[in-house]
Amino acid sequence: MIAIAASAVLQAAAGCGPMVERPRFPSRPDSIRPADLLGPYDGKVIDGETDRPIAGATVAASWAFERGIGVPGPADAEEVVVQTGADGRYVIPQLDRLPTGLSARVRRFTLIIYQRGFVAWRSDRRFPGTTPRRDFSQRGNVARLDRWQPAFTHAQHLLFMGGGAKIREVAAWEAQQASLDLEGETGGGRMSADGEETRATAVLDIGALLTDDEIRGVTGYVGSFEKEKLSDLPTTEFYDSRHFKAVNKPESFDVGLRVWRLGVAAAEAQYQKLRRELPKADVTDEIGDASFRARSGDIGGLVFLVRDRGVVVSLTCGSGQCTDPAQLATIGKLVESRLSDLPPAPPLPAAPGDEAPAPGPAHAPAEAKP
Amino acid sequence: MRGEANTGHGKRERRLAGALVAGLLCAASLGGGLERSARAFDGATTHAGLTQQAAVRSRLHKILGRRLARPLGLFDPIALHAELIPETERRLLQERLLALDPAGGYRPGQDGVASALAWTVAGSVIAKSSPGRMRNFFLDPSTGAGLRDDAAVEGTLHAVRQVVDGGDLRDVMTGASFPFEGQPSVKWLEDPENDVGLRAFRDALERAVADPDPAQRSSSLARALLALGGSLAVLEDAGNPAAVRNDFRGSYLRGASSAPFDRRSSFEHAVADLYGTSGVPAPRAVVQRDNVAAFFSAPDGQGLADRTQRRFFSDGTVPDDGVVDHDTSAADIVKAARASLTYALPAIPRLELRELGVRHYVTISDGPGARPRRVLAYERVPGRVRFFLDGAVYLDTARALLPEIAGYAAGFVDHVLRGEIKLEQDGGRVRAVVNGPAGKVRGGSLRIFAEDASGRRREIGSFPSDGAGIDTASVALPAGTRRAAAVLRGSDDAGPLVAFGEIALPASR
Repeated sequence: MIAIAASAVLQAAAGCGPMVERPRFPSRPDSIRPADLLGPYDGKVIDGETDRPIAGATVAASWAFERGIGVPGPADAEEVVVQTGADGRYVIPQLDRLPTGLSARVRRFTLIIYQRGFVAWRSDRRFPGTTPRRDFSQRGNVARLDRWQPAFTHAQHLLFMGGGAKIREVAAWEAQQASLDLEGETGGGRMSADGEETRATAVLDIGALLTDDEIRGVTGYVGSFEKEKLSDLPTTEFYDSRHFKAVNKPESFDVGLRVWRLGVAAAEAQYQKLRRELPKADVTDEIGDASFRARSGDIGGLVFLVRDRGVVVSLTCGSGQCTDPAQLATIGKLVESRLSDLPPAPPLPAAPGDEAPAPGPAHAPAEAKP
Repeated sequence: MRGEANTGHGKRERRLAGALVAGLLCAASLGGGLERSARAFDGATTHAGLTQQAAVRSRLHKILGRRLARPLGLFDPIALHAELIPETERRLLQERLLALDPAGGYRPGQDGVASALAWTVAGSVIAKSSPGRMRNFFLDPSTGAGLRDDAAVEGTLHAVRQVVDGGDLRDVMTGASFPFEGQPSVKWLEDPENDVGLRAFRDALERAVADPDPAQRSSSLARALLALGGSLAVLEDAGNPAAVRNDFRGSYLRGASSAPFDRRSSFEHAVADLYGTSGVPAPRAVVQRDNVAAFFSAPDGQGLADRTQRRFFSDGTVPDDGVVDHDTSAADIVKAARASLTYALPAIPRLELRELGVRHYVTISDGPGARPRRVLAYERVPGRVRFFLDGAVYLDTARALLPEIAGYAAGFVDHVLRGEIKLEQDGGRVRAVVNGPAGKVRGGSLRIFAEDASGRRREIGSFPSDGAGIDTASVALPAGTRRAAAVLRGSDDAGPLVAFGEIALPASR
């Protein structure tokens, strides 16, 4: 008898789905009927300036579940990430996994759209200003992406944007500039006190100059690298670095790359300074407009200058990785061939020789950790 | 074996009882047809926004970059290596982190990596992830007590609801599941059971410098930031009127609908809808206080809980409805309203009661020239005067409170990170100088570490304070040292302190 009663009650409980929040957006742009929070969702992403569709934009949709009586808290979430097609369209299927528990509820649906060069688009808030968005709809949504403006800051943009792992991945490049925004060291595009836009500059990014595979291709190394920045100088609009750290190997398997983008005169001065200060500097002129080699222990260095681009490059490679000195030159030539991809140097803020990152002996390529 | 069988039987009984009640309550809610119109408190957005604003406005970004070699500061990716955490702790932590909404930007990836800012914000969101934790977020600054409520029938009902929703029947019988009593929030901060509290923060921060292995240090830093966020959530609730006016039942157990499981704070829900995460306003000013407790409550009355309690009502601490009959004067109503208050402030002034059905507001000005804000709504209806809080009061309350809370939170971050160790290379030695403590540092030791090219650290010097205080130390650097680091765990005039710093050294060493 008890079993029958329990069974009946359990069946009743089984039919009791989670609570679902009533969305604040309509089912369609031209409708006042509330949307179904569970979806499906579809729409189109267009350039707000030209009205042309944006293909390949990252569209991240997430449902937040909550649970609890009195003080509901996060209970789980479901995320779907897609890319827009050639026509700028996206489709997010209906949520097929509902939370369980009598106090469980589907609390929120959020759509985030990201495409480099544009302001991120969120279904709940606008940027800048973070005012509530009122033009999102479940079906037939039209997301007009605004072009990035120099007056915006990447720090505020990242704070606004949120998003899961995929969004973080595609927006990772903004982290450096965002960090500088908070430091207050660069323009980064800010409004001055009188409302006038200040100069916008981007930090130097040398990520495209050299890859792990290219190093392995030259040296024949079969292990993997952890890629990070060298910590001796901060990344600025004039300087960037990469440390290819050989995993589970000693330092002699590491490769270091430093690039100064300073303009013609300052680059010349920087090159001469390095030549004076680095140990065992030996002029070779094997690459670029001028070059020299240096050595400290089992780490070899190659520094070269490309005058018309105003760039100085310093490469270091341990003897475990570069078993032949010619390998360092080959890697250097790979880097040199890509320098045209770097944008020209921004104007230096003051006397070039004073303001450019000026490595002392601690930062000498042959001495510093590559 | 017998014991196990009995235990299993007991669990089955509890599950069965829970299921029976669940079915009945569920049937009741279905009868009302309300499961699709339910609304709930959305603390994740408000705490996340406040913590985000506080972190950005504080010195945390620069401290991460300059004292912990995290070049991107708040945006630096930090890995939490789950395999380095004890099994039970790991499961509890992962459950809470994986429950977070990716849209918030603070949920770590599957690889355990998130930015420093994301870890901090995530800590503030998971801090209240169970009812058992929430009960410790209350502080009545007038008594120093935590949540103390005579739960009565409402408490029993709440406990039953919790059991049905997945709790334990035994907790109902023993009263353990009643969230009507808790520690004062300022004590909960230091409770060893609080894995995202201040004690956990200091432990993890010390390990973030002293652990030998880089992966361990990274994980410890992630844990420290989580605990910093968790501590901020506790402070932020000192700016929540319900939490400083001993008001759980009135604020949190009101039904948003007739569905028995749809209970939440209307005020918190309104704030979440108004501001979301990114709409939370920036701090008006960063608040400095002498010690952690003073951020909450202090004799000068300028703790956040002090200021909140005397300037705002919560839903459950408004005056009782006043009875109006032929002999009642307006003065009688005011007198009765004042007499019904648990807290004398905010004060009830003269009331406008001439017209029936017209809503009026009690307003308060926060200073000369400040725009009056609405703190209490009232309305004369046949036979009585109703007092309540409505959307307009919530809006004015949030506008006044949020920037203030964020300012206290930003100051709190700076306060708990006040200790800096400046390291300087002096030939073959490194010299550590302790900066920023409030007075002399007492207790603990100043420990100095050398990091080799592989990133491993070992202690190369330890200097106990010996009761006289310590502010400087020097030690010889071993060959091959690439980085020196130092940490000091002790206390100063402001309370417990962790001071720390790092320096990169020329590779020629």
